[in-house]
Amino acid sequence: MASVMGREREGIDLDDPWQAIEACYEQGWTDGLPVVPPTEILVERTLASGPWDPDQVLLHEPARDRGVTAYKAAINAVMAGCRPEYFPVIGAALTAIGDPDFELHGPATSTGGAALMVIVNGPVRRRLDIHGKANLFGPGFRANATIGRALRLVLLNCLECQPGVLDKSTQGWPGKYSLCFAEEEEASPWEPLSVARGFRPGQSTVTVFAAESGHNVLAHGTRSPERLLTLFAETMAGLGSLSPGRSVIVFAPEHAGHLARERWSRARTQAWLYERAWRPLADLKRSGKIEPAFLTNPRLLEWLYRHHPAGVPAPPPDPGAAERISAEDESVRVHRGLGPDDILLCVGGGEAGGHSAFFPSWSRGRSVPFITKEVPS
Amino acid sequence: MTRILDPTLRTVKAVATTPRAPRPSGLAGARIGLLANGKSNGMLLLERVAEILGQRHAIAGVIRVAKTNASVPVTEDAAEPLLKRCAAVVTAIGD
Repeated sequence: MASVMGREREGIDLDDPWQAIEACYEQGWTDGLPVVPPTEILVERTLASGPWDPDQVLLHEPARDRGVTAYKAAINAVMAGCRPEYFPVIGAALTAIGDPDFELHGPATSTGGAALMVIVNGPVRRRLDIHGKANLFGPGFRANATIGRALRLVLLNCLECQPGVLDKSTQGWPGKYSLCFAEEEEASPWEPLSVARGFRPGQSTVTVFAAESGHNVLAHGTRSPERLLTLFAETMAGLGSLSPGRSVIVFAPEHAGHLARERWSRARTQAWLYERAWRPLADLKRSGKIEPAFLTNPRLLEWLYRHHPAGVPAPPPDPGAAERISAEDESVRVHRGLGPDDILLCVGGGEAGGHSAFFPSWSRGRSVPFITKEVPS
Repeated sequence: MTRILDPTLRTVKAVATTPRAPRPSGLAGARIGLLANGKSNGMLLLERVAEILGQRHAIAGVIRVAKTNASVPVTEDAAEPLLKRCAAVVTAIGD
């Protein structure tokens, strides 16, 4: 039997290569957009550009015990439209979302409808033209469009995350097609995100996050860091997405410049935002944000009462307290996240314009951490 | 002729497969495990299932285990009483 790099190849034989695009649709192998037919030669080239053995498992999903090999990842990367040289980035991103701490089963299947965000740092950005400037979340850039898409195709094809079947996203959002971008390190007031995450300058990395849709933070009217960051804190404290989860902020270069001019450090910015991104417990109750079951969940109770002067109530309040508002509840602060380190800061976007983005975590709970992995060279 | 390669795991043989436990011949006198998946109301649903099982099959009792996190597998420690002491286990997710 014919083989790709010595392995048995399972597939479909077609007389007319143009039939292949429709054949992939018929097999249910696409995300709705046409895919590049994964022919032997393309898959072979892709595998050859990464350091992995074809049978090496890059992603193991423990909840359903599925292992995705480099071979299967390469097929999906070809289908996504990736150039072979993108494969090391895809492999690193699969390793990151397969980290047990990422708890992939949740963001891959939940009604929350998370996208898999991939932030790329280091020299690989320039080598592969991974874009971090104007319209970095939008169309127009092959690496951005196809690297994130490769991850989604792996979820669809290998982890069987079919919409409405295993992927129960109530609405989902367009970032689920692809959400990959480079940090515009050159416009950052700070060290690159990868260095803040513990890697050496010059190392290329991917940082992954399970994200809700982004919220635009529009500010053209101020250069003051305090005024500017007030808008971010207000956006982060919006009740719709308020949770003990983490946050990603992608500062536009213009906004980053205002922080740089006044020498605001990364740590000071994170702490400032955390301190101001809160709502009174009474607001959460008034809005119906607190479900009665929250009050029986120790982790959510800890979030709700961690800034209460008397601490977490013991015994826990009865479920009816979810709707009962006491005078005290007006002054209990419920912050977004559990501390300043829950706010990841990076920089991206065009030189012009006061539009930054806030991406909340995907869940009403704590959700998953940021995971950073090195891209092999 | 062009061959396009299968991107799915359907043709991949599992490295190790866990055999299924034999089905119990009946539930009369059996102890039933209730494994709530980790969402808020899974146990609520399971309690109702246990009530119905009690009415129809005269089960001997239940053992309740609630995961704290729906995204991860049940731990070995939590699964132990289900494995060692139950004739059958019902699991549910309830949000």
